[in-house]
Formats: sequence, C-alpha cells, structure tokens
Amino acid sequence: MTLLELDDLKTYYRTEDGWVQAADGINLELDENETLGLVGESGSGKTTVAKSLIKLLPDNAEIVDGEIRYKGADLTDLSMREIRNRIRWKEISMVPQNAMNGFDPVYTVGNQIVEAIQVHEPETSDAEAWGRARDLFDELGLDEDRVDDYPHQFSGGMAQRAMIALALAVKPSLILADEPTTALDVVIQDRILRTIEELQDEFDTAMIMITHDMSVVSESCDTIAVMYGGRLVEYADADTIIKNPRHPYTLGLRNAFPDITADDQELISIPGTPPDVVDPDEGCRFAPRCPFAEEECWEETPEPREFDDGHIVECHRADEAPLLREEAARKETWQQVAETEEPAQSPAGGASDD
Amino acid sequence: MGLREYIVRRIFQLLVTYWAFLTIIFVLFRVAPGDPTSMFVMDGLTGEQREREIARLGLDQPLHVQYVEYITQLLSGNFGTSFRYSEPVWDVLVVKFWNTILLMGTALIVAYILGITFGALLGWYRGKKVEKVGIVAGLVARSSPEFWTGIVLLSIFAFWLGWFPSGGMRSVGAEIGSFGERYFSADFVYHMVLPVLAGAIYYMATPLLLMRNTMMDILKADFIEVKKAEGLPERRILYRHAARNSILPIVTVAAIVSGTAIGGSLIIETVFNWPGMGREMIESVTYNDYPMAMGTFFLMGSVVIFMNFIADLAYVYLDPRVQYD
Repeated sequence: MTLLELDDLKTYYRTEDGWVQAADGINLELDENETLGLVGESGSGKTTVAKSLIKLLPDNAEIVDGEIRYKGADLTDLSMREIRNRIRWKEISMVPQNAMNGFDPVYTVGNQIVEAIQVHEPETSDAEAWGRARDLFDELGLDEDRVDDYPHQFSGGMAQRAMIALALAVKPSLILADEPTTALDVVIQDRILRTIEELQDEFDTAMIMITHDMSVVSESCDTIAVMYGGRLVEYADADTIIKNPRHPYTLGLRNAFPDITADDQELISIPGTPPDVVDPDEGCRFAPRCPFAEEECWEETPEPREFDDGHIVECHRADEAPLLREEAARKETWQQVAETEEPAQSPAGGASDD
Repeated sequence: MGLREYIVRRIFQLLVTYWAFLTIIFVLFRVAPGDPTSMFVMDGLTGEQREREIARLGLDQPLHVQYVEYITQLLSGNFGTSFRYSEPVWDVLVVKFWNTILLMGTALIVAYILGITFGALLGWYRGKKVEKVGIVAGLVARSSPEFWTGIVLLSIFAFWLGWFPSGGMRSVGAEIGSFGERYFSADFVYHMVLPVLAGAIYYMATPLLLMRNTMMDILKADFIEVKKAEGLPERRILYRHAARNSILPIVTVAAIVSGTAIGGSLIIETVFNWPGMGREMIESVTYNDYPMAMGTFFLMGSVVIFMNFIADLAYVYLDPRVQYD
C-alpha cells in the first residue's frame, strides 16, 4: 500500500541572490515497508526533500508548490503544531548522519529515549518507558545496562545503534536515514545496514535512505531515486538503476564507486562541481558536466520520460542509453569534459554559476 | 580514582593559591605608604612614645620574623585588634561579612536567574526584534557603572517616588536581635531592595550576553535538530536541552563574576550606606586601621578563591564529559 507520495514537490530557499531551487518538482512514491535510496552529491537536494516531509527546514526555506501525501493526508496543509504533535517521530523519525552528535551530551541515552516516548505517549509511566528503552537496546544488540551511559561513552557504531533505537522508540511508519553509515568503517557499516533491514521487517517500517554512496543503496534499497541540482534525474527499482541506468549522471556516479566483483577496475570521477541552482536558466542542469550534452540539452529543460515499467529518466538522450553506457565506461569520455569544461563549450546561459 | 584524584589535586592547588595570596597581602601592607602610628598622631605622640608603640606592634622586628608571626597568627585565627573599634577584628568582620554576603549573594542570584533566562530567550529568538531590544538593554546595563545605576535607582525610587529607603540596613530605632531576626525581617528586606536591584542590573549583563552567545552555537548542533525532529515542544528544547548545554561556560564565569561582585560591594555599599565588608575596607584603609584592612582583604580574597574552587567542582557535575586531569 502506498504510504507516501510526493507530487511535484518544490522546496526553495530564499537568498539574497534569489530563490535556490533545492528541490524542484520531485515526484516519488513509497510503499509501506519499502526502502527508497535517495542518491546524489552534496547539495543535490536530497536532504531538503527528506526534511520537507517533517518541515524540519531552515527559516528561509519554503515549500512553494506540490503535495506531500502521507497516509492519505497532505502534510503541506498541516500547521507546525500538527506536524510536531502528530507527524514528527510518531509517524516519521530520523537517523542523523553523525549519531554521536545527534544525542544531547549532558543526558544519558536512556533518558533521551524515555523523553521521546513520554512526550508522545504522556500516559507512559517512568518504569514502563525505561523498560521499553532497555528492550530497544536489546533489540539492537546493545547491552541493556548501557541505557544509563552518556553518548560520549559509546563508540561510533554503538552510538549509531543507539540512535536507531531512539528512532524506533515510538514505532514510526517511516524513518529518514541521512547517511546513516558514512561515519563508520566498512565492517560496522555492513552490520548496521543488516540490523536496519531486520528491524524494518520486524517493526514494519519504511525507510528513505539518503546517501551519496552507490554501494550502500545497491545493497539495501528497493527503489533508487537519483537527484542532481534539485531535480530528480532518474528513478527506478534498485536493480534497474544498477544494471541499466539511462541518465549520464547515474552512469558517472556508478563509475565513481568500486565494484568488488569486477577485477582490474579503474574508478572514474565526474569532473566539475555541482551546479549553483539560484534561479537557473532553461536547459538540463547536468549539461555543463555531461560528456553527451548536445545543443538541445543547453536550451531546453528535459521532461521526465518513462521507460518500461516505471523507469523515469530526465534526459534528452535517454533512449540512446546502450550507446551512452558503453561510452561512459571509458575514462577519456569524461576527461574530455574536464578539459573543455570552461566557457569554450558552454554557450551563453548554459551554466548558471557566472 | 578519577573524581577523587581530581578533587584532591584541586584542593592542593587551592592551598598553593592561598599561600600566595596571604604572602601578597603581607607584602602589600609592608610596601604601602603610611604608618600605623599615624592613627594615634592626634593624641600627640612623642618620638619616644611612638617608638614604644612600634615595638608594641612588633614592627621593629625584621621582615621575615614579622612574616612568620603573621602566618602563625592567621592560621590560629587571630586577626588582631582593630585600632578604630578596639575590638577583635574577627568579631567586627563576621557581622559585616554576613551583611555583604546577603546583599551581594541575593543580587548575584537574581542577576543569574534573570540573565540566564533572558539570555536563553535572546539566543532562541535570534534575529527577531526581541533580540535586538534585549541586547541593547544588556549592553546599557553592562556599561553603566554601578554607582550610576545606584544613584539613578535612588533618585527614582527613594527620592522621587519615596517607595524605598535611601540607604542603611534597617530603620532607625529597629531592634537588633539574633541572627535570624536581624536578616529575616521585613524591614531588612525592604532596605535591601534597591541595592540588590542595582547589583542585579549590573551583574545580569555578563550571564545574559554570554548565554545568548553560547545558545547560538548550541542551537546549530546536530542534536538540537534531532530534538526538533523528535517533535519535542519548543520550550522543552529551549530549556531542557539548549539552555542546559549553554550553561556550562556560564558556571566558570560565575566564579569570576562573584569575585568582581565582592569587589563591587565596595561601591554599592558606599552608595547605599550599607554596613558591609566593602565599606569597611574603604574606611579601614582611610583610617589606617591596618588589622581591620588586612582582615577585609583576607576575607574578600578568600571568597573569590573559594568560589573558583566551587566552580571547578560544579563543572564536573554539570558536564559528564569533563576529564579529571
């Protein structure tokens, strides 16, 4: 059953230079118990999309258009008070990137779990709430007695587990995990991801996993949405994105992460930097960095197109995918962009950062 | 180990500081101009009588002998006899000490409660109009000298509106009874209002501005965002989490502010004619009452040193992350 549906969501930031279109026309769907990977570079807008759901946005941010349909209701219609009392944590909770800094350092972890429980379920007694905190610790493979420890007494991996315990405290239907494993080493990372997967089944929770790490999403997500410069550039089930990507940016992202199964593989990075999306001009936002950009790409913003079975791609050349895939695997293809990236190839109005 | 070792080490540091402090007082009074016998000049001492007086006071002894004698007497709690009151210094000081502690202590408590509360609010309402008004008010309070604030309060509330007395600690003719009666009477509180207000206004500014600054840093921390995402009520995040974390540096400063407040009692007590230690210090120095002056210096310094010690211990309690080394 559909749990969450984003319909043309636009979240912009007001700045002195104009509107930053951090999330521009995002369409997504999430079923109950499903895991969605939201992938992109820093500044691609993935965090903005996630935080729009619980209105956890800075003062200068505004949801200018679109709908966030959650369990049938439009969250953009709710007041801050309703969001706080009914949605935050109770329905949608969050696991921050650095769990250690996610806890208030002056209270024990147990104290903070109990606080979250009692704020949302005021009728819960102290003894009951502490009992639940201990159960959650047990569930996450932590020693129950450590509920009495302060955050700084935990290691990074344990703090992340404790944070997941906090996120599950009032049994939300959706968890927003913002790079939940980036700060951890690979072995711990893998264990945490597996724990998350198990608990998701047990607690019947959906998840949006925000990350820039392709290997993480490929392992643990059902569907993947790739964002670039505030736009959703490619969206499909995980298998399709990994095996048959169509957008040049996804191709580039895939190149930048090692595949353990392939030997003798050279990592290729995407040259250039993410675009500045203050009142951007017409044209594909990836064009300045795209090795396959044609005249059309600079002049006309591509519309999302659907390929077999819900595979959405926002690229003028998406139907040439097999050719692009072949080309994109060669390092020279990307180098050529790096060399000629500066104005020569950019027609006026192409790049927004002038 | 840990905690106990830390406390023992702090006590050792306290003793060293104390010794240095006592030595400085000693040196200060030996090099200071003036002569203890000038106190008796009005009686028309002859040269011979003067020398006898100096010998009686032990001032003809070499310095190191005087120093040893000084330390010995202090350690045995003997502060000598006041020239002016002809009473043991300690007896006079104890009364004045409590007068000052009650006045400045109350002023500081009021200042801290208001400063921390409003400072936290200013940090929370960053960029709003409330914040701007608050900062200006804080800066004005902080840059106005205590005597000026005192005089302004006096002219408004004592001379113009006539709500409060213009000075002193109790009404003329009031009975002075036991410790309890002396300090826990309506008359005492009534006399205390204006001087406490003057002190509170002045000492409120430091915790207020500091609290606002640390609040602004703490509010950027990741855990504040998590607490918001948890759906906790704003006031709970503000006071239970943000303010609680911002209070740490304030505690350290509290010791320093207490020190300056003890010094500031000189001014407030003079303006409001309050019979406390600060005024006694000024008077005993003016009258060359050396034993009394040394007594007041000793007591005030002790308070400052002790407050610093307390602050260090409080910090351990408030911040579980403090390393005991």
